[in-house]
Amino acid sequence: MVSALVTTSVNGRVERLVVAGGVPLLTVLRNDLGLNGPKYGCGLGQCGACLVLVDGRAARSCAMPVSAVAGRQVTTLEGLGQAQALHPVQQAFIQTQAAQCGYCLNGMIIATVSLLRRCPQPTDAQVRSALSHNLCRCGSHLEILAAVQLAARLMAAQPAAANAMSTDQPLGSQTLAGQASAAPMPLRP
Amino acid sequence: MSARAATWRTRADFRQAPGVLLVLRDPPAPPAPSPGQPPIVAGDPAEGLEVLLAVCDDGQAIALLGHVDLGTGIRTAYGQIAAEELDLPLDCVVVILGDTARAPNQGPTIASTSLQIHAQPLRLAAAQARAWLVDAARARWGSAGESAGDAGAAGDSGLSTQAGEVVHPDGRRLAYAELLTGQHVELMLDAATPTKPEADYTVVGTSAPRLDLPAKATGGPVYVHDHRLPGMLHGRVLRPPYAGVDAGDFVGRSLLAVHEASILHIPGIQKIVVIGDFIGIVADREEQAEAAMLALQVDWAPFTPVAKLDDLAQAISAHPSTPRVVAQHGDLLAARLEASITLDRSYVWPYQMHASIGPSCAVATWRVGGETDGVADRVADGETGGLGARATVWAGTQNPHVLRADLAKLTGLADTDIEVIRLEAAGCYGRNSADDVAADALLLARAVGRPVRVQLTRAQEHAWEPKGAAQLMQIQGGLRDDGAPAGYDFQTSYPSNGAPTLALLLTGAVPAVGLAFEMGDRTAVPPYAYLHQRITVNDMAPILRASWLRGVSALPNSFAHESYIDELATAAGVDPVAYRLRYLDDPRAADLVRATADKAGWVPHTKPQQQQPAQPPHRNRPGLLDGPADQGDWLSGQGFAYARYTHSKFPGFGAAWAAWVADVRVNKLTGEVRVQRVVVGHDAGLMVNPKGVQQQVHGNVLQTTSRALKEQVRIDPTTRTVASREWGSYPILTFLDVPVVDVLLVPRPGEAPLGVGESASVPGTAAIANAIFDATGVRFRAPPFTPEVVRAALGVLPAPAAPGAGLDAAESGAASDANVDEKHGAKPDAKAGTVPAPGPLPEAADPQRPRRAAWAVAGAVVGGLISLGAAALGWRPAIAPVQLGGGAGASLYAPDLINRGRQLAALGNCATCHTAEGGRPLAGGLAMATPFGTVYSTNLTPDAATGIGLWSFSAFQRAMREGVSRDGHHLYPAFPYTAFTQTTDADLTALYAYLMAQPAVAHAVPETRLAWPYNVRPLMALWNALYLQAGPVPAPPLPRAQLMEPQRSLDAARRSPAWQRGAYLVNGLGHCSACHTPRDARGGELAQSAYLGGAMVKGWEAPPLGALNRSPVAWTEDAMTTYLRRGHHPEHGIAGGPMAPVVQGLAHLPEVDVRAMAHYLVSLQAAPAPGLSGLSAPPATPATPPASPAPAWPGAAPLSAAALALVTQASVRAAALPGATQRLFESACGACHHDGAGPEVQGLNQPLALNANLHGTRPDNLIRTVLDGIWQPAFVEIGHMPAFRHALDDHQIAELVAYLRQRFAPTQPPWADLPGAVARARTLPP
Repeated sequence: MVSALVTTSVNGRVERLVVAGGVPLLTVLRNDLGLNGPKYGCGLGQCGACLVLVDGRAARSCAMPVSAVAGRQVTTLEGLGQAQALHPVQQAFIQTQAAQCGYCLNGMIIATVSLLRRCPQPTDAQVRSALSHNLCRCGSHLEILAAVQLAARLMAAQPAAANAMSTDQPLGSQTLAGQASAAPMPLRP
Repeated sequence: MSARAATWRTRADFRQAPGVLLVLRDPPAPPAPSPGQPPIVAGDPAEGLEVLLAVCDDGQAIALLGHVDLGTGIRTAYGQIAAEELDLPLDCVVVILGDTARAPNQGPTIASTSLQIHAQPLRLAAAQARAWLVDAARARWGSAGESAGDAGAAGDSGLSTQAGEVVHPDGRRLAYAELLTGQHVELMLDAATPTKPEADYTVVGTSAPRLDLPAKATGGPVYVHDHRLPGMLHGRVLRPPYAGVDAGDFVGRSLLAVHEASILHIPGIQKIVVIGDFIGIVADREEQAEAAMLALQVDWAPFTPVAKLDDLAQAISAHPSTPRVVAQHGDLLAARLEASITLDRSYVWPYQMHASIGPSCAVATWRVGGETDGVADRVADGETGGLGARATVWAGTQNPHVLRADLAKLTGLADTDIEVIRLEAAGCYGRNSADDVAADALLLARAVGRPVRVQLTRAQEHAWEPKGAAQLMQIQGGLRDDGAPAGYDFQTSYPSNGAPTLALLLTGAVPAVGLAFEMGDRTAVPPYAYLHQRITVNDMAPILRASWLRGVSALPNSFAHESYIDELATAAGVDPVAYRLRYLDDPRAADLVRATADKAGWVPHTKPQQQQPAQPPHRNRPGLLDGPADQGDWLSGQGFAYARYTHSKFPGFGAAWAAWVADVRVNKLTGEVRVQRVVVGHDAGLMVNPKGVQQQVHGNVLQTTSRALKEQVRIDPTTRTVASREWGSYPILTFLDVPVVDVLLVPRPGEAPLGVGESASVPGTAAIANAIFDATGVRFRAPPFTPEVVRAALGVLPAPAAPGAGLDAAESGAASDANVDEKHGAKPDAKAGTVPAPGPLPEAADPQRPRRAAWAVAGAVVGGLISLGAAALGWRPAIAPVQLGGGAGASLYAPDLINRGRQLAALGNCATCHTAEGGRPLAGGLAMATPFGTVYSTNLTPDAATGIGLWSFSAFQRAMREGVSRDGHHLYPAFPYTAFTQTTDADLTALYAYLMAQPAVAHAVPETRLAWPYNVRPLMALWNALYLQAGPVPAPPLPRAQLMEPQRSLDAARRSPAWQRGAYLVNGLGHCSACHTPRDARGGELAQSAYLGGAMVKGWEAPPLGALNRSPVAWTEDAMTTYLRRGHHPEHGIAGGPMAPVVQGLAHLPEVDVRAMAHYLVSLQAAPAPGLSGLSAPPATPATPPASPAPAWPGAAPLSAAALALVTQASVRAAALPGATQRLFESACGACHHDGAGPEVQGLNQPLALNANLHGTRPDNLIRTVLDGIWQPAFVEIGHMPAFRHALDDHQIAELVAYLRQRFAPTQPPWADLPGAVARARTLPP
């Protein structure tokens, strides 16, 4: 547990964190930065409750050390939008009442933002597979599927809002080489 | 939230507040003892009157209720009820749920009674408050223009209310707020208060948006998990090994010792709390508490396992019980005699989980004397309980008042000294671990006197949450000649679900005696008018720890009732819906049954239709290769079931009516069941919030579908404890499984509102089972209806060996597998059978350095002996010190040279071994375990005293070439000088320059002390004689004649400059052979017989390279170059384990050098020695390989034709291998390891079918990766993998690894003794 300095950007703010590099990103976001959006669900990357965006792509923050986001842009649910200025995906989820207990809601919204970024008009099957490892126990799936489609429509109608989220853009120079960070991934129709 | 609501923390605060109208009631009287039911916690008279409603002079109203919102939306519905009766806008109503110091005690939030029963006092209170406000307005305005009458009802007096104002007929208005200014009014609840006629409702009955969602969708601090206090510490608990068992004399009495020393190395630990079997750790930071929880060594006494649970019907039958006949009429004996067909059936329900998405969490404070936590200071100093302490607990509990009583029992505090504040938590559908963790947090807060937050782990929540109980239903009956039922003798056996709060048991505060309650009787009486009937409930103590779970015993009871009547209908040759209607004498039920069947397009039938669907089921995944099973192997079926959920103490009362029509598809080869569509009819009387009702119906349908198809707690067959500790071993429904759901909400505005939280789930399982019967003609009487169970029943495969345990061990066997493969025409090439432990490897020799002739070795040994003797005499000289230390090298050597040295140091990976964990780079001190003892690496920095600051180049050169230190003592060959010896003087100079240019670090490393004889360092001279061929290999290639087999076959082209360069780097500073060539008993490399033939390093297999490599797709120079430089290649996987730092080093090398290494290594592969083809040849390529490189899935890197064929094969194979382990893999690993139709992956998702680790002879690398994950990948782009060490047991990992082998390396035989291999790997440090 040797502490080290990790510099990263969270919701557009540069954070200089002195923590043991092996600590899960989720723990740091919640305990050091006081964020509530990402939730602890399994610690194994299975359930999706902890999703955040890293350089605009969904990432399971329980299953990666904070050192993994050094020099990268992290966006949490809080960074998408707030009650007075909702992100279209948040708006769509609220409008369709796509939650019961809401514990999975963070992951569902983040996964949707990430999906719509690479696939703005997803089919039902594409939505299902993109969310296939976001678990919901209350059975809000039907409302969530509707919310994603509504979100796609809202984003299409107000592209400015979708693009305004500057922290959701990859950093370019800091984007890593390789297939992992290939441009928006087309899904098979 | 209203500012008032935030400041009024106690009932007394409300009672003392100005500007408020309160409606109060007496606390509920102590309930009459209710035999057979868990005790009810009475109100404490000391707390005074209960506050039901406060209308405030800020224009808001506060509704207080004892029930809590479990995600069902009752907060909103309660708000609607208050808003309706008060004529106040919904957003002016604040709803406080469950806080013990404020809210009334209405018992636990169970049995769907929140609206049906517990909303009534609120409704009355609101109506009463409104009446008072109207009266007050009338008084203010005087009586002019008013007729006499009851002011409470609008219209009578001419005054009305609207949007928080009293409205005069002449248009004058008075706001409630104004009427209350300066007032303090208290009304006692009057049950006779008239409420608003339903016809006038404008808020109730509308789909008001949920009040809680905006905060939840934006990361507001909503949940108990989000609660933070100043100075808060973090706690973890350590649970005993008897996971999920809470009765028995060992409970609370098994802890033998806690070795606190085992966590001394972890910083920030504040306290270890041990009471009985309770262990908690408090730390400054959460990760410290977590690390301590994992590291703390604890000794436990062995415990007596509960009865075997692999056959649940048998286990429940054998469990002691007391029969209780709850209903009886007619003459069963006579009925049985007149039956023409006897139908005796048994139905078995499994243990299931609440499976909350968020593991439970709580925060607690413990304050002594005048300490405050800034929250509640309702009791003046000196008035605290006997302990002089007060506690506050923030919890996600379902039953705050019961929890408070438990906490009082646990701590000895008076209940009035404890405040339980209910915050939202993950949905629980019954009682999960929320109460347990609240008690844990309080114990830890008491121990440290500071606020403590305790978060349970996923494994703890899974293992210890009280389960939904297993249940056995047995029916004796039959049919008469006329097709009528001949009698219904129903017995249900339900292990009780008392589940005392865990800390009470673990600390010994409450004896761990399983109590039998009367709980199995919910909906035990069928809805059908059987002429002769007896309903017997066998009450019994718990087996595993259990609590109520949605539908409690009613869901299994209805599963039996509704399956059985379906069987009767079929036996009678009558349509199942028509048959039900014959015996359903409740007209409301009959209406619902007919309406639901109509809506679903029910096709009457008298026998299973076993139809082939017009089209295969929906594909919920884009581009998924469903395999050959997709075509024509599906059957479709439709099933019906009906139930009205009857809950609470027998005879209880009914909640909403519900009926299901389920449409399923069943794959007759794989056994897979897909629920395609569910039509649900639902009659809940008045719906307070129709959208909310619909959501509850949706949730119930999906959760029930999940429970019916997938869910069963895994039990460890040996210890009989809960073995499901993560989502892979307890998979639940995913988006891929979600059916179409059509909901028919019967409008009944004139009827009382009925509970909807559970009703729609109750008929579900039977509807699905009946649909499977319609599709296949086979009855399934024991959920879950998993593919392996269905397959076995359809006769495709033998039944799983241990169905109760959920372990499909038999399925991974060769015989059953072949069966499937035969049908799919994809029989594996290799003979099934296990591989013996890896035997001696075929010969392969270092092509550069030929085997020396015997005389040469003998000569060297003699030389060694001479030098040994000389050394013994002290003749091996020290080399004179030089004064270069302190980083002076930086100014002596040219930057280019230093830079070249840096690359060479990276190639040689010096820093990996010469840097201690957390230490300064190259300063040495890393402990390296060798077969001969622990060797500590030396300090390579130019520090004069502790490093190599006094080393001249000659000394350095001698060390690198001969393994002799500057002072003349021999170094151990853990330092790979046998390889480094090849380094040219030029490169040694560069390396020396680099090391000397580094900052000097004074770091004395521990002395290496090996056991005799290895501690006699001069003996190394002898070892060197055998194994060291000192000096660089001569530049020109050796004459062919001197080369040994199989290198004779190497052609001249391979000894090109690139090949020579590659060989130099690989065999010299790269020292690949040090790890990849096995060693003999003396630690010497078998360079002449098994060169790069694979070896074990730190419990990892350094896989065979070159001719012996086992990659399923041949390496190319490009692929190898990419792999070595970037740590991964799509056709080979990633560099993990000890290879990760190697590729990190190689990334610093010029590409041309890495390419040369690749060139050399690939050249070795291209010429397999005779007899090796079976091991190294790639598997047979498919008949029609794709023409050009193509990605395995969208976004993936392009693959060669051979690689693509392997990936496709594995994909097809996946469809043919459904089973518990397939589900384990898909659920536990599938978020990252999927075939493209899955979530976005942060990192690489490379095809496992191409990963050499799955094709090798040893499972070690795969097992170690599963155990420890990849937390420090070579490069961040590779991505990360969590460790499954603490989530999966040995058996599960063995199962998973066997499955991966079978699916992704089908041409390879299964690995032998996987459980043993896992157990061994587990003992190795990560």
